[in-house]
Amino acid sequence: MLDKQTTPDPNRFNVSRATLWLDRAMGWIIRAGGIAVILAVFGIFYFIGKEVVPLFHDAKINNVASFSNGIESRVLGVDEWGEMPFFYDGGKSLIFINVADGKREVLDVSGLTDLTVRSFAYDPVHRRIALGLEDGRVGAMVINYERKFAPDGSSSIAPSAELEPWQELSHGSGPVVAVSHGDSGDGRVIVAQRQAADGSSQVSILKLAMKRGLIGKGKLSLVAEVDVTSQLSAPSSLLRASSNASMVLIATTDGKVHYFLADGDGVSKRQVFQPHGELALRQLDFLFGGVSLVATSENGDQAQWSLFRPENQGERLFGETKKLPALEKGEIFFAASQRNRTFLTGSNKKLAIIHSTSGVARWAGTLDIAPTTAVIDAKGEHFFVADAAGAVRKFAIHDPHPEAGWRAFFGKVWYEGGSKPVYQWQSTGGTDDFEPKLSLIPLIYGSLKGTAYALLFSVPVALLAAIFSAAFLPLEIKRVVKPVMEIMSSLPSVVLGFLAGLWLAPIWEMRVPSVLMITIMLPISALAMGYIGCRLPPAVRNRFENGREWLVVLPVMALFAWLGWHLGPLLERWLFIYRDPTTQQAIADFRLWWPQFTGTPFEQRNSLVLGFMMGFAVIPVIFTIAEDALSNVPKSLTAAAAALGANRWQVVRTVMLPVASSGIFSALMIGFGRAVGETMIMVMATGNTPVMDWNIFNGMRTLSANIAVELPEAPVGSTHYRTLFLGAVVLFAMTFFMNTLAEILRQRLRERNKIV
Amino acid sequence: MEDDLTKPIALMNDFIKVDHFNFFYGEKQAIHEISMDIPERQITALIGPSGCGKSTLLRNLNRMNDLINGVHHSGDIRIAGTSLYDPKVEVISLRKRVGMVFQKYNPFAKSIYENVIFSLRVAGRSRRKELDETVERALQSAALWDEVKDRLHESAFGLSGGQQQRLCIARAIANQPEILLMDEPCAALDPLATLKIEELILTLKKQFTIVIVTHNMMQATRCSDRTAFLYMGRLIEYGETMQIFERPKETQTEAYISGRFS
Repeated sequence: MLDKQTTPDPNRFNVSRATLWLDRAMGWIIRAGGIAVILAVFGIFYFIGKEVVPLFHDAKINNVASFSNGIESRVLGVDEWGEMPFFYDGGKSLIFINVADGKREVLDVSGLTDLTVRSFAYDPVHRRIALGLEDGRVGAMVINYERKFAPDGSSSIAPSAELEPWQELSHGSGPVVAVSHGDSGDGRVIVAQRQAADGSSQVSILKLAMKRGLIGKGKLSLVAEVDVTSQLSAPSSLLRASSNASMVLIATTDGKVHYFLADGDGVSKRQVFQPHGELALRQLDFLFGGVSLVATSENGDQAQWSLFRPENQGERLFGETKKLPALEKGEIFFAASQRNRTFLTGSNKKLAIIHSTSGVARWAGTLDIAPTTAVIDAKGEHFFVADAAGAVRKFAIHDPHPEAGWRAFFGKVWYEGGSKPVYQWQSTGGTDDFEPKLSLIPLIYGSLKGTAYALLFSVPVALLAAIFSAAFLPLEIKRVVKPVMEIMSSLPSVVLGFLAGLWLAPIWEMRVPSVLMITIMLPISALAMGYIGCRLPPAVRNRFENGREWLVVLPVMALFAWLGWHLGPLLERWLFIYRDPTTQQAIADFRLWWPQFTGTPFEQRNSLVLGFMMGFAVIPVIFTIAEDALSNVPKSLTAAAAALGANRWQVVRTVMLPVASSGIFSALMIGFGRAVGETMIMVMATGNTPVMDWNIFNGMRTLSANIAVELPEAPVGSTHYRTLFLGAVVLFAMTFFMNTLAEILRQRLRERNKIV
Repeated sequence: MEDDLTKPIALMNDFIKVDHFNFFYGEKQAIHEISMDIPERQITALIGPSGCGKSTLLRNLNRMNDLINGVHHSGDIRIAGTSLYDPKVEVISLRKRVGMVFQKYNPFAKSIYENVIFSLRVAGRSRRKELDETVERALQSAALWDEVKDRLHESAFGLSGGQQQRLCIARAIANQPEILLMDEPCAALDPLATLKIEELILTLKKQFTIVIVTHNMMQATRCSDRTAFLYMGRLIEYGETMQIFERPKETQTEAYISGRFS
């Protein structure tokens, strides 16, 4: 039969060159594309990791220089570049040492030649040494550094010291044995202790005001001089004027600290507190910002005290906010940073750098000398320590993110000014000495709250709509409904946010009772319609074609929505009566009634508005996927159920929902992901206050909105900037965790309901 | 059967009466003016080439075609004298009266037990004793009881294809319908399983009026009492199976059964 045919083409089994080439080329292109995508994803992880990881690094300390100054220095100060520290031992001259070349410069202070200095104290903020004299006068000298540039580009530093006018003390007698000095710019506060020949001592607080002339420097004049000796419970042991001249602290030998406020009205005692019981204090210093202080007892117990307004009290008083790690008993040294809330403290050879916000040690270690004094330069890049024998060590500090750390991000922290430890997010403030509050917990809370309210509204609506569309609606209507829902999901969220924040929120603010009425009346009317429907005789019921019920239900529901809207004010007048506490006047206003009744605030941009508007973003996503899952249930199964006498709802419940459950679950998870990551609606409709409560009439601040709002203002590389990236990591971790969990559950569901 | 005691002995010859029935999918007419009487407790086979309307006719007997969009009909179908399209008729009770077995076995993703009692569950009947009895009776009737009685609560997907189809038959007869519609019940089965189902169909005849759609001529001759040949939506010939296959009156019938066209 075959031999009559022509011989076949011998090449018929060969594949053409072009086909082979195209196949190979496409293979490589696809491979390259796939690898590029994977690399890009890892690249993103790498970049985010690079931004976030430095937040968790400890401080790095390097000993950069060691030398000796040859005196027992009680005051150690430094210029802002950390290049030329100075030393003072209460004599008539200052010793400057240039760290770079080791050159020692002795500066004789001309005004001190005929005088005997009995006491002195250094204020590194103003670089001022307060002086107390044998003859009972107090004063101060300011150390200045002038940087001079030579024509060849090299620079040198020329230090100088300037004496300020002496003040006579009118109270007491004898030499000034302790002194401290504060400078607010407009005035000064000096606290001084004089010791009479009989051993009795007297403490005075001087308030000076700067009278500014039109030209040149102003002149200081005495405003008040108060003898506070009688107000002290025991002889004083430590004097501290805050460097902003608003407060004076006097520690006494019985371990008490007397807090005097130097405000416009003069000097008055506000509080006496005892940081370490009866133990006398060895160290008492203010931290950056002048609100907190660190106090150390003679046993080495160390604690931080801050000014705050205790609950139910009007005045800011000191209270203990943190117990710090105890130091060894011995000579205690302390230096506060002038940049942030870190301080350096220690005793004997031990040294620790601690950040006061979180109370965490950034660095702790042992030195080769036992310092008696320490100072941190103005930039916070170096610190110097010196021991009694004059040995000096210079260290470089590398700690770009001292305020970061696990406890700062996720723990309860007692911030300055607060009456208890809280989770708080407040990354920026009006002043330089603002304490950043970087807890991510309120933001995580906000994200979860926003998501919960969004899903609370969208999930029932979307799932019911999907079931209705998949099992009840006639095909020709479904063909219109589905694309419309899909278009809805492409609505820009900025438009939705705009509508929510600027249009819907102000309307709903006035009509909360109406919204409540509608939420109650719509389901009730639908249920009532269903009840009436099944009470109708079959002859009447069968006149409606299956799937056309909405033609009847829709107008009725619209009517009930309209009724609900207009009955709202009636409900308000009946139930939501606010009683004015002063005039006893009754006002029917939900906005006033809610805070009075529940004690929680009512905000215009609240979770109710948000949940509703988020519905427009989330419902289409859930609807589309769930509808697909339900529609893809094999017709053979639904037909089998129908043939066995199941009604439409029974077909849905017994056959479609179990088979589609894994798909529906995916729909919910994608909806969750959309809600958690949604940014613009959250930014515009939530008020962005990082509060932590579930109140539906209050807003929130979500992680995503926080990044959107703050990232443009955060300096690149700053702690704030990196913390925002950390927020992104947390957001990713949340969705990753949820998705993984969901995927595991989904696989289980699918396994259980799979159709062979 | 309990029903036998209350019913007259005489079985109705026109238990299902198809009366000048036309059926349309939108514009397309699938069934043209079919009139036929289907006798009670006999097996009636519908044969004909693909697209001849035999499945459509079958699916109209329990109004399954209502689930499809844009269908309409004229004429009437009556079961025991009552029109299916009477406005007083509840489709759901109609379907309880007229059971159906599909071409591809389609058990639910549930246990064997739950599959069988599905029709009772959706009817809201849940007395354990009644359910247990129903399961045993239906599975006995479907000749499946001995094979599955020890694993009633395992998934129905663990059964073989033939067993699954018999399970679907058990499911369809669990609620004791009067009529059993079978749409090519053996199309997806191997010959051995087919044989078993055919045997089963013959025994079910004692209790049910059976209408079966089949492509398999041999099956029609083996099982059915009466055969209807449909072609292009028209009823060409309808009569005793023996007569149709041995002495067809119409040339088209003869051409079809002798395999000259399909």
